[in-house]
Amino acid sequence: MLASLAAAGAAACSPPGEGGRATQDQVAPASVSTDIGEEPIELTLYDGAGLKAVDEALIEAFTAKHPNVTITTRFDPDDVQAQNAPRVLASDDPPDIARIIALGDIVGNGQLTKLDAWAQAYGWEIPEGQLAMYRVDDNGVRGAGAQYTVASGFVVTGLYYNKEIAERVGMGEPPTTIVELEEDLAAAKQAGVVPIMAGNQTGQLIFTVQMLLNDALGQQALNDWVFNAPGATIDTSEAADAVGTVANWVEAGYFPADTNGTDSTAALGRFARGEALFYPSGNWDAAALEEQMGDNVGFVLPPSSDGTSSLAMSDPVSNFAIPAKSDAKDAAAAFLDFLTSEEARQVMVDAGFAPSGEGDAPTTEPGSLNAEVQAAFADLVEADGQVQFVQNATSGINATWLAQTQLLAGGGRTSPADLLTAVQAKYDEELGR
Amino acid sequence: MTRLRHRNWQGWWFALPALLMYGVFVLRPLISTVQYSFYDWDGITPATWVGIDNYRRVLSDPALASSIWHAFFLIIFFTLAPVVGGLFVAALLQEIRIRGLATAARTALFLPQIIPGAAAAIAWVWMFSGNGAVNQVLSSIGLDGITRAWLGDFTWALPAVGVIGTWLGLGFCTILLISGIGKIDTAIYEAARLDGAGFLSTFRAVTLPGLRQEIGVCVTVTIIAALATFDIVFMSTQGGPGTSTMVPGVLVYQLGFTESRIGLASALAIVLTALILVVILPIQRFFRAA
Repeated sequence: MLASLAAAGAAACSPPGEGGRATQDQVAPASVSTDIGEEPIELTLYDGAGLKAVDEALIEAFTAKHPNVTITTRFDPDDVQAQNAPRVLASDDPPDIARIIALGDIVGNGQLTKLDAWAQAYGWEIPEGQLAMYRVDDNGVRGAGAQYTVASGFVVTGLYYNKEIAERVGMGEPPTTIVELEEDLAAAKQAGVVPIMAGNQTGQLIFTVQMLLNDALGQQALNDWVFNAPGATIDTSEAADAVGTVANWVEAGYFPADTNGTDSTAALGRFARGEALFYPSGNWDAAALEEQMGDNVGFVLPPSSDGTSSLAMSDPVSNFAIPAKSDAKDAAAAFLDFLTSEEARQVMVDAGFAPSGEGDAPTTEPGSLNAEVQAAFADLVEADGQVQFVQNATSGINATWLAQTQLLAGGGRTSPADLLTAVQAKYDEELGR
Repeated sequence: MTRLRHRNWQGWWFALPALLMYGVFVLRPLISTVQYSFYDWDGITPATWVGIDNYRRVLSDPALASSIWHAFFLIIFFTLAPVVGGLFVAALLQEIRIRGLATAARTALFLPQIIPGAAAAIAWVWMFSGNGAVNQVLSSIGLDGITRAWLGDFTWALPAVGVIGTWLGLGFCTILLISGIGKIDTAIYEAARLDGAGFLSTFRAVTLPGLRQEIGVCVTVTIIAALATFDIVFMSTQGGPGTSTMVPGVLVYQLGFTESRIGLASALAIVLTALILVVILPIQRFFRAA
């Protein structure tokens, strides 16, 4: 009895979370090297399980160039990895390379290494729009300040469309303006096809919502919001108009009636079976769709109101950082450097993702869906139109977006203004504003 | 006197391994949770003492009130339906006494009990989906009019989640009640039959009073399962659509693990624990006062 009480009491002595902080030199190393020598080096890479295949391909290509480096991998289910990363980084034996989702928070904890010294030593030239996703300033605001990460590659979102249905409803070319899109949606509805497939049990309506938000607010405003810039708000009348458009589409029956009871896997299957004209989603669905639909599926960037600007949600596949407590940072940095190389870019494209850095577009099979996705991504980077996902603005905001878009899809259960007020309230509450 | 005390202490040695486990895996986390609930802590960086602020926020959060209401609503499905259904099935099995059939029925009913709630929830998600088994059955009997994606319906998602709970709980209650009936002296049943009592009056006069304690256990365990439910809701709806199936257990998880607000999550967990105790203790007293 005493023993168990003692064991219980030991937990309650001091406030939790004391000790184990990284030192200044661990966060910002004074001297770095691009030479990783010939001695055997062991690295550990920590990522989400969904990326196992592509990570292993990258590692194979990297270790072929650096045979003295062995990289052991550690995977958790994707969402578990996102949640566990801060705790894994705080452990006594942290990984040397880790995917970081909540970048602002984890930098704030002092758990990552600043990469600026290596950036200078290697002479990294990263497109501005991509570099913004790697940076955090001293106040925890993302988009500016020191560089902490390099992406293995990017996801890219847009509209998949069913070519056979498109022809049937008289959609010649994919829409470039929102007016054209609305005509196509109406035509599809008229023809008795679901205009937009979305599995909103798992929150897919947000793709349509953000597509319109991107167009209404622009890249800067949305990225500022996701990067937690001071005073950033999404609760504006422009945003309400954009959400209002989606509300109108809900009312017009442009989404499946059971969207709130359909998950993303089911939605993918239903689109592949020819139930809908459009399916807003990302490159991650390309392989499955091509396998099931063959030539019958196309991919384009979302349309805009003026028909010229290209904006789409696109962020890192794995935003790789070097934990502050890693003991093999030069070798880890060599791996990050490798991510923007020709070889790595080809590995990512072969796996169906968009490549990191810039350069000649890697080769794809002509006429394949992957080639269409890569072409769309190249246009997007060229136009500097990569927008962050609004679900990633804070750790908990995704649950609020999910609940709110389900209310929206439920038809009249919330107003666009109330939806945005609820999201902004949660955002401010989490950030302590 | 000394011998008696000596003997008492010897007894404790047998309990020691269990106590140790209890201390490490039950008391320690409990005390830690109480401690964390007074801090603002992200789980990593040093925590700051905030006194009862977390409790103030938890109790003034409108999302919590509705999630608690949902948990109480689930008692209908997690407790009432399995206990009533279990009583009926157990009495029926006692009545028919055909060995093969009774064993088969017991096995079939108990099967859900050995399936983890999370796995059951996934299976039920498929069955409740737009073209799932539930709607197929409804269509086949001419009820096309009421088919829907049950878990995506603002009105029906919570009862649908409840049905999963009923399915999981029915076997547990039935088995417990059958074993309870087995303890009732068969002579009483015989006497009742000789007196001309039918199924219903035997059930009311013999079975029900004899099962008081077993019913007490069923009610207690299933009410705790309803109020503290997590896995079924988390795997089937994540609290949606909107917040129509949100329960306190999922809120605790979201606060603690998604948002890394350990203090707030701990405070909510303590409030939930207290709430369950407030509900359970009177029930325990009622069923014990035979």
